[in-house]
Amino acid sequence: MDFFISLVIAGACVGSVYALVAVGLNMTFWTTKTLNFGQGAVMMLSAMSTALLVQNGLSDLVSITLGLALVALMGVLVERIAIRPALKTAGSMGWVIATLGFGIVLQGVTAKYFGSQAVAFPEVLFQVQDVVSIAGQSISMQYLAIFCISLLLIIALELLTRFTVAGTAIQATAQDIELAVVQGLPVNLIVSGSFVLSSVLAGVAGVLVAQISGTVDPAFGFELVMFGFVAAVLGGMGSSGGALLGGIILGITSKLVGGYISTAAEHGIAFALLIVMLAIRPQGFFGRAEVSKA
Amino acid sequence: MNTLRTKLSALVTNQYVLLLLVVVLLITASGMKGGTLQILSFTLISILFTQSIYILTGMTGQISLGHAAFFGSGAYVTAVLTKTLGLSLLLSIPVAGVATSLIAFILSYPAGRVKEVYLAMMTLGFGQIFLEVAREWTAVTGGVMGLSGVPSAGLGNLVVLGLKLTTVDYFRLLLVITCFALVFVRNFSQSRLGRSLFLVHYSELAAGSIGINRRQTKQLAYALSGLFAGFAGAFYAHLVGYLGPDSFTINRSIEVLVVAIVGGLWSIPGQVLSAIFFTFLPEQLQVFSQYQFIVYGLILTFTLILFRKGIGGFLFTMPRFIRKTLQAKSLQDRLTSAFLQIKENHTKIVVQGITMKFGGLVAVDQVSIEIPAHQITALVGPNGSGKSTLVNVIAGVFPPTAGRVLLNDTEVTGKTDQQMSKLGVVRTFQDPRLVPHFTVRENILLGAHARMSYSWLEAGLSLPRSSRQELLSLQQCDSVIELLEIASVADQAVESLPYGHRRMTELGRALMAGPRVILLDEPAAGLSDLEMGRLSLILKKLKAFGITILIIEHHMEFLADLVDEVVVLDSGSIIFRGSLPDMREDPAVIEAYLGMEETQHA
Repeated sequence: MDFFISLVIAGACVGSVYALVAVGLNMTFWTTKTLNFGQGAVMMLSAMSTALLVQNGLSDLVSITLGLALVALMGVLVERIAIRPALKTAGSMGWVIATLGFGIVLQGVTAKYFGSQAVAFPEVLFQVQDVVSIAGQSISMQYLAIFCISLLLIIALELLTRFTVAGTAIQATAQDIELAVVQGLPVNLIVSGSFVLSSVLAGVAGVLVAQISGTVDPAFGFELVMFGFVAAVLGGMGSSGGALLGGIILGITSKLVGGYISTAAEHGIAFALLIVMLAIRPQGFFGRAEVSKA
Repeated sequence: MNTLRTKLSALVTNQYVLLLLVVVLLITASGMKGGTLQILSFTLISILFTQSIYILTGMTGQISLGHAAFFGSGAYVTAVLTKTLGLSLLLSIPVAGVATSLIAFILSYPAGRVKEVYLAMMTLGFGQIFLEVAREWTAVTGGVMGLSGVPSAGLGNLVVLGLKLTTVDYFRLLLVITCFALVFVRNFSQSRLGRSLFLVHYSELAAGSIGINRRQTKQLAYALSGLFAGFAGAFYAHLVGYLGPDSFTINRSIEVLVVAIVGGLWSIPGQVLSAIFFTFLPEQLQVFSQYQFIVYGLILTFTLILFRKGIGGFLFTMPRFIRKTLQAKSLQDRLTSAFLQIKENHTKIVVQGITMKFGGLVAVDQVSIEIPAHQITALVGPNGSGKSTLVNVIAGVFPPTAGRVLLNDTEVTGKTDQQMSKLGVVRTFQDPRLVPHFTVRENILLGAHARMSYSWLEAGLSLPRSSRQELLSLQQCDSVIELLEIASVADQAVESLPYGHRRMTELGRALMAGPRVILLDEPAAGLSDLEMGRLSLILKKLKAFGITILIIEHHMEFLADLVDEVVVLDSGSIIFRGSLPDMREDPAVIEAYLGMEETQHA
């Protein structure tokens, strides 16, 4: 039973990071119906630069901030270079391929200049051995912190989109981008902003996951972004609450499968879930089917 | 530049030139160094693999980021069959191809239901699942250690029918097979099925409207794509002799995409050049291999945006999707448009109490009309009155919320658009939905899809039945082109033509489907007065052929001397039916429709 509970807790914590990634993907999906297939490389970049800056003697907080600033810049770049021109000329295949390529460039450059070896990630959030005891279960402080940070960020974002002017502008753009233009909203800025926000969320997720895994290498993040996508699909693309639940369900399911069936199947199950979910209920558990007019 | 392109294209598609090249390679192979042979063999495998992207992504528009899984499964199947079970290559390679094709076919069920980003993610996930299986199913795949000692020419243990194959023999075999595959894919692209993949790519709705089964079409694309990828993987296995999961990661999926995109997604010769380039370059240039992935990334980021048609589009003219010899033959020996003549000209449609709701919105409310045989009926009404929705219901695009549709006396409610088209009910769209890079003729020929029946195998091998059916359809296509008076532009790509010609092309495509009833959604919108006059004459001819016509239109002058009866729809309900002059006097119509036209010219 203890084993079961510890799996569920670990799953929920990891799942909350998936949810964070999913919320980031939703951001750009709202504004442009696109997402950055190179998001994995963005996560890697933030974790990698944080690790390298700390190694070079900067404080944890400064390193993380610089790392996040770097990926925010990447958000602007990917939208300007890969998304905006592709949407104009090449249709959906264009931006999928272009953002994928952008991610590969980031990964390639990192591997070229910092080597393809894994870099140890510093302990910026508590220590591995820090535990807290709740109801007889000892829970790692790192896991708990990750869960709280992810949850708080998701709630904060949800409140921002609901109750601020900027949030309303994002919602308006999500509803109908052309109408938003006509209404005089600075749509380019909003779209750009959504990519920055999405990248920063991915960056935070990257740091959080690197904290658990302990190391970061150039290929880091590739599967993580897919788990984020699975979480988003499970909950229904575009829904924040759905993303949170989807992430936690995914995290717990894969930990349980890993714990009871085979660790080998831990990752595979997520992709299997994705394929089955898309085939049976593409709008997710909480999304509504789109009514299309021919 | 264009004449140069034409000359270059003629050169690379000239069968004698190609045959000569192949023969020279076959002969000189024995004198080549081992390294050269190896690179050439890899090039051939890359060409073979790229064909699977050509079919799935180039033709059908289905993105795949998991093609390494197909390649890998072909490789593992033949490796296991030959190494572990001791089967012959002659059996194991075909089995590898077919097994991979089957996997792709199964994947097409979930994949056929999703698009764009979902499809991209799904295929990415599929690739990862394959990788996990290859890593963990140690008993069969050797796990992360891989499978070594697969019979290969390099190891000298590749024996076929008692003969030991050397690397030279293996290269020759691969060359012959690759050439055969290229001819097969070229033939397939110039067949009814090949063309239908392109239409499914650009408009699934249009595909359904002329009786193309969207689901089966995508399944075919996946299965064929899997077949080629599986063969490529199988030949790879017997070339390298060792298989490890690391050979089948996302990197390989990306590599093949890079080759296909740089070559030009629609261009077989472009992709062949691209495959040669990307196989030789890393071997010749050590610097390149260091930056390989950065370069791949940059290529992916910019090619589709800046250089969309790739090498193929730069060097060569657009490939054509009709067999040249057959087209020449059909122009010699013409048919009349009499094939459009309907023998039993009494097909009518009866709509009884149709209601169509979208969520809470009632687009069509309890409409009952009869579209009498051998007549032209017009459906008019202000924007948003439910005209297109009604046509969509009759054509089978939406199953109605309530009510019945009868074709003569048979109930056809809830049949799909594809089934309706096979029953002879064909429609056009408000905005023409064509394959933009197809010529007028190619687009019109699409309409004959469901009236031809030859299979993908007959298409690829260009067997007599396929030629016979294509020829007949081409002759009919010529007569339709003549009827529509668009012969002067018949061989131009529709994307370069003005709107009026595109509308005519779409009408031609509908006619090629052999309609008994034709539903036209605003066919005169955007036409010049001259074109409108021509369209009016054509519609009268179609009526004389016995085709029942329903036409949605706003131009009253256009309808004036054309229609037998007018039905007026307002807010989803019929407010008038009768003759056009009577309609002009009707107070309800004046209020709902003509009254509006005074202030706001429709």
